Amino acid sequence: MSRRIPWVEKYRPRKLSEVVNQDEAKKALLDWINSWEKGKPNKRAVLLAGPPGIGKTTLAYALANEKGYEVLELNASDVRTGERIRQVIGGSMKMGSLFGFRGRIILFDEVDGLNVREDKGGLAAIIELIRESTWPIIMTANNPWDPKFRELRNEAEVIQLKPLNEDDIMSILRRICNNEGIKCEEDALKLIAESSGGDIRAAINDLQAVAEGKKVVTKDDVTVTERTHQFDMFKVLDKVFHARRFDEARSVTFLPSFDWENYYPWALDNVPSVYAKSVDALSDALDNLSLSDVVRGRIVKTQGWELMPYMLELMTAGIALVRNKPPLARFVRLSFPERIRLMARTRESRQLRDALINRLRIELHTSSSEVSLYYMPLLRLMAGSDLFKKKLLERLMRVLGYSMDSVERALGIEGVGEGGEAGGGAERKPKKGSR
Amino acid sequence: MSIAELIWVEKYRPSRIDEIIDQEEVKERIKRFVKTGNMPHLLFYGPPGTGKTTMALAIAHELYGDSWRENVLELNASDERGITTIRERVKEFARTAPMGKAPYKLIILDEADNMTSDAQQALRRMMEMYANVTRFILLANYLSGIIEPIQSRCALFRFAPLPKDAVIARLREIASREGVKINDEALGAIWEISQGDMRKAINTLQAAAATAKEITPEIVYKTIGFIEPKEIIDLINIAFSGDFVKARDKLRALMYEHGVSGIEILKAVQRRILSGEVQIPEEAKVEVAEIVADIDYRLTEGSDEEIQLSALLARLMLIGKKYGLSTAKETKAPAKRR
Repeated sequence: MSRRIPWVEKYRPRKLSEVVNQDEAKKALLDWINSWEKGKPNKRAVLLAGPPGIGKTTLAYALANEKGYEVLELNASDVRTGERIRQVIGGSMKMGSLFGFRGRIILFDEVDGLNVREDKGGLAAIIELIRESTWPIIMTANNPWDPKFRELRNEAEVIQLKPLNEDDIMSILRRICNNEGIKCEEDALKLIAESSGGDIRAAINDLQAVAEGKKVVTKDDVTVTERTHQFDMFKVLDKVFHARRFDEARSVTFLPSFDWENYYPWALDNVPSVYAKSVDALSDALDNLSLSDVVRGRIVKTQGWELMPYMLELMTAGIALVRNKPPLARFVRLSFPERIRLMARTRESRQLRDALINRLRIELHTSSSEVSLYYMPLLRLMAGSDLFKKKLLERLMRVLGYSMDSVERALGIEGVGEGGEAGGGAERKPKKGSR
Repeated sequence: MSIAELIWVEKYRPSRIDEIIDQEEVKERIKRFVKTGNMPHLLFYGPPGTGKTTMALAIAHELYGDSWRENVLELNASDERGITTIRERVKEFARTAPMGKAPYKLIILDEADNMTSDAQQALRRMMEMYANVTRFILLANYLSGIIEPIQSRCALFRFAPLPKDAVIARLREIASREGVKINDEALGAIWEISQGDMRKAINTLQAAAATAKEITPEIVYKTIGFIEPKEIIDLINIAFSGDFVKARDKLRALMYEHGVSGIEILKAVQRRILSGEVQIPEEAKVEVAEIVADIDYRLTEGSDEEIQLSALLARLMLIGKKYGLSTAKETKAPAKRR
């Protein structure tokens, strides 16, 4: 696949004037930075607040760019460990003048991500930094009203960004289409804008997914994209995580678009991140999801559809109502299930390997799981050994009809074709099939 | 041409009953069956690597000679998709008449104790339905995992772990035929690791031979990291330490990149914890045993292995929290681990 520049990056506003629909926020931000430049800031930091994908980070960079500041992004652990603090606050104007910057803006992106229990020090360190810093500090957060930010709010001016409406989003998309020389039906743009739920980043990504490389984009092109579905799943999970009552959580299963099969990987991936702060909540939720899956297994095996309600209740209310549920941001951070990506990325290697395992399990009179657990490691070891390497690889190529590369991928090794180390195999690194 | 002839376990698998090591009593009884041609259904049970599969295949050789493949259906319960596919395959296989002197064909069903009792009931009916044209040899680790009605229809054979002398003599023989240098201490080390499991012993020998020209005890111990994946121990320790996301990444690597099945991961986790390779208080082991049993049930009943193993990791996290195991460090990877 050819490399492509994400349009989100390509069309990211570089100047404040290019940022759409945030006039009040822009004004507040400019007032604040001006007060810094006069040497008397009313608050030493600002907290840009709003849901994902409405341009908080973009706004910070646009401000810096326009006013001639260099942006230094820090995260909580930088501050806590103090590694970069001296480098950042202690740094004189030398650096700035050298590169023609007027000064620096310190950016803490997405402070919601701070884990209060584990990063207690992190939050305290940020507050300390705000008090001492000689540079303006900008933070971003989805929900600034989270109780954990109480102290932080005293130190910072909260600037709330407005969610983008459909018209704003459509006008941005239209501009991108013009620039890319794509003719896009209004209905198509409207559909993308609608399903983005005010998230301009999502909208631009969707547009790129359907439109890149095309001359004309119609409404039908858009309906096949995944976002409407994905977006539903975001909404469903958001509702489930925030539900306080059984009925409330279960109600998502009555939505006509509720896709319970697809719900499992989504829930499985997002429970651990949403409940990262509470072992009890995490294990309760996963336990209920597991029980729901047991019911699902029984339904599939026995065609016992009358069991369906139990499955649905466990998978929704069982996740919502858990012990020691941690306080949640108004918009919980949800992500696309990694497993789906992982499966797609490793598909080809898995097919090569499955064929090998299947062959071996028959030849060795055993099960495929026994082969993967005990014989595959042995084969990898043999492939790195002077004694067996040549014979084994030749045999595998002939028996399976694989190329050398495919043999290596099936075994999960690389570089075996080169000479091994004397006295034994060189260390083999796993192929970078995944992160 | 096969891949397996490069694998010593297969290369040195005895093909005649008399060549099988130890298990004298079992051999005597089975030889009588083969001689008379009058063989009931058989059920072999015992720990891994004690010769159950080898014995079943040797019977096939003795009954059918070179045409054994046409007369034998090998099934592994863990690889067949449910009892329906097993039934279909048995039905198809039983349709044609046996070739050679034996009046029946042979069905070898491995890991029969992993089948649900419903599936075993269906299996029992099959055994009766095709009794005139087939004989079943069922292989299991635990007799208790086989339902009574099947037990009562089979001649039972218990395969005991092999004695030390027999295992070491066999290893020495293989080493000399392969021209591998190995000293007595190293042979002792292999015995320590494998105990009476011949398959594990031979696999360890070959892994060691792949690692160094002269096998010493150090080489042997270094090698076992390959056959008993260190990944499992890491997985357990990370879960105990409370880092769910990291543990899940490890789990996914095992499942999707190495292709290890859920039940196998669960069993490996159980072995590692209960054997004491991962340090936890004795009373915590009981809780682990309970959790593993529960998840085992859910794995068989449920439909998504990753969900079930994620629930396992979460419960190990709770154990880690309860017993303050969160300080446990991830084990250092041995130099030659992949």
